[in-house]
Amino acid sequence: MDAITLEKVSKSYDSVAAVSNVSVRVRQGSIFGLLGPNGAGKTTTIRMIMHILVADEGSIKVLDKPVSDETRDLIGYLPEERGLYPRMKVRDIIVFLAALHGLTEAEAGRRADQWLDKLGLGEWKSKKLVDLSKGMQQKVQFITSVIHEPPVMILDEPFSGLDPVNSATIEEIIMEMKGKGATIVLSSHRMDQIERMCDAICLINKGQNILDGDIRSIKESYGKNTVQFEFTGPDTFLKSPSIEKLTRLGNGAEAKLKPGADSQEVLRAALQAGANITKFELMYPTLNEIFIERTTRA
Amino acid sequence: MRKLGLIVKREYLTRVKTKGFVIGTLAVPLLGLAFCLMIVFLVNHKTESSLRFAIVDNSDGLSQSVVQGLNSKLEDGKPEFVVEQTFVRPADSDAVQTDLRNKINAGTLDAYLLIPAKNTDSFELHMRNPDNFSQIGPLSGALDQSVITQRLSQQGVHVDDLKSVLKGADLKLLKVSDRGEAEEKGQSIGIAIALVVLLYTSLLMYGIITMRSVIEEKTTRTMEVLISAVRPFELLAGKILGVAAAAFTQFAIWMTSTALLFSYGALAAMGMGGKSMLSGVHVPPSLILYATLFFFGGYFLYSAMFAAVGAACSNEQDAQQLQWLAMGPLVFCMIIYSVILNDPSSKMAVILSEIPFFAPVLMSLRISLQTPPLWQIALSLGLLVLTTIVMIWLSAKIYRVGVLMYGKRPSLIEMARWLRYS
Repeated sequence: MDAITLEKVSKSYDSVAAVSNVSVRVRQGSIFGLLGPNGAGKTTTIRMIMHILVADEGSIKVLDKPVSDETRDLIGYLPEERGLYPRMKVRDIIVFLAALHGLTEAEAGRRADQWLDKLGLGEWKSKKLVDLSKGMQQKVQFITSVIHEPPVMILDEPFSGLDPVNSATIEEIIMEMKGKGATIVLSSHRMDQIERMCDAICLINKGQNILDGDIRSIKESYGKNTVQFEFTGPDTFLKSPSIEKLTRLGNGAEAKLKPGADSQEVLRAALQAGANITKFELMYPTLNEIFIERTTRA
Repeated sequence: MRKLGLIVKREYLTRVKTKGFVIGTLAVPLLGLAFCLMIVFLVNHKTESSLRFAIVDNSDGLSQSVVQGLNSKLEDGKPEFVVEQTFVRPADSDAVQTDLRNKINAGTLDAYLLIPAKNTDSFELHMRNPDNFSQIGPLSGALDQSVITQRLSQQGVHVDDLKSVLKGADLKLLKVSDRGEAEEKGQSIGIAIALVVLLYTSLLMYGIITMRSVIEEKTTRTMEVLISAVRPFELLAGKILGVAAAAFTQFAIWMTSTALLFSYGALAAMGMGGKSMLSGVHVPPSLILYATLFFFGGYFLYSAMFAAVGAACSNEQDAQQLQWLAMGPLVFCMIIYSVILNDPSSKMAVILSEIPFFAPVLMSLRISLQTPPLWQIALSLGLLVLTTIVMIWLSAKIYRVGVLMYGKRPSLIEMARWLRYS
């Protein structure tokens, strides 16, 4: 069964089309990356799934039920536009939102304490939200969107504003929730994280679904056309006519080869030029690469 | 319903628990008490020291009867006026006056009175502080009486007891209503004006509180988190009801303390020697009932309007420009109410008080002055309830779209378009 199904969904504001004819399926129990440049229509799509906005055309289902006020309770939602009542106490606000999602206040309180301890916020529970650092507020916000243990979660930029340690903690929790059978839709601009965590993605640009499927099969469709070097010494070989696009890295470079070019040719040229190669890897293009290529294509 | 309850509870508790609410709720009755005591004190307060003055009398002895008329006493029993010197028809009036002015400047004299040769000319009172009305009043009275007596006797009318002749007719005002007649002492107007001010300020104040609370959720970006859990209509209704509950808590405290203040305040006032200004004030229970009904209707109508304004704006600055939409009708009531005060059953008064946006204030005003026919009250209330329901529905639509809109303040045309969005 699919956790979320969008079938030919369109939505426009006055005459501007925000989303047009988008169809997407999110497999139950998977982590799904919803990608796209700023203003592509991701937020509108998410709001339609949340039934905050209503689609002009097409149908949206969550766990096989057409979206409604009731399906909203099946989804834990961390919006990109986020914020909480600044003058409320941390624990109170978590309990309030958990109760709105259907927990009893006693149960909400018990879970709030567990989560606050788990994310290292135990001693902050009776402080006002304004007194917390931005990263801590982010963690509180994350708790409020998952505390009712919904079967589906939509997390819009869950890592923004978090340091690497907190980011890793949240990533771990998301993987843990997947392990328990939850479906997670992840929207993020951090392609490395998407690549590491997601099973499938959908790339939206200018309101349209321009690419979707399993990450592995998407990459395989591009073939191993990218070479990553690490080297010291001369770099003249990087001007080889076989290289279509070059990205300099700290101690090397990433080169996208022209169609039909031989990677071994490039390696030989490098050695001849006198470069000391410490790493040479032929690989699939990164998601970042694919993202940039597909969204900047005319 | 459960979610609505949670929202109402949160709105209520966060409002009631603030320092501002506690202070405001307690400060108003205390300030009221202080104000009452101050008025009682000021009314009973008289100038402490006697007015030392001289008379320059250019007439043929009018000063004598003036001095006789100045017999008022200060609280400590000393005379209020002390005539230090009298110059009857002095040879060089200007020199005498220059001398007196010097004395006033030196502080040995407070004033001097110049009586003209003919009593139709102006009298002059020269003093350092001519704004001291509490002393000029009795002096002016004594002058009037002396001059009138003199004129009457000049025309050959002998008056022993001037006061009894000049005493005016006593006109009693009686208010006719279906409960019979009652003596009118101006309290109807007093109650009416108090009611208008109370309704106006409370509708405006709580409307703006509702609006601010919506804007706060937008500026803190709490809104999207909330509407992913509840329907915008529930959020709107919960907010209006929550603010209402806080408002009524405050009102209940104020009303109770005012009632206590009235009874104890009146006693205190009498204890201090003043007449109770409040005795005889009687607010009919039917007026309280009607005013409460109209207040509730008006409260929900205006809160819904203010909430819609808040939902359409991204910040307080924008809201200040757009809030006239909701404030306009209320301000109009304050401009027009004196017309209705003059003639509560005129055609204009009837029509205006049937218009739902004005009804809460203007119909309550009419009821307090002269109870209109029942059908007019019922029609007005019915229209108010209908309009309120439509307004809440419209506001919920604007709310649903507006709460997620940030950036430029929408034009009225854009807001009208929002109503079409589903």
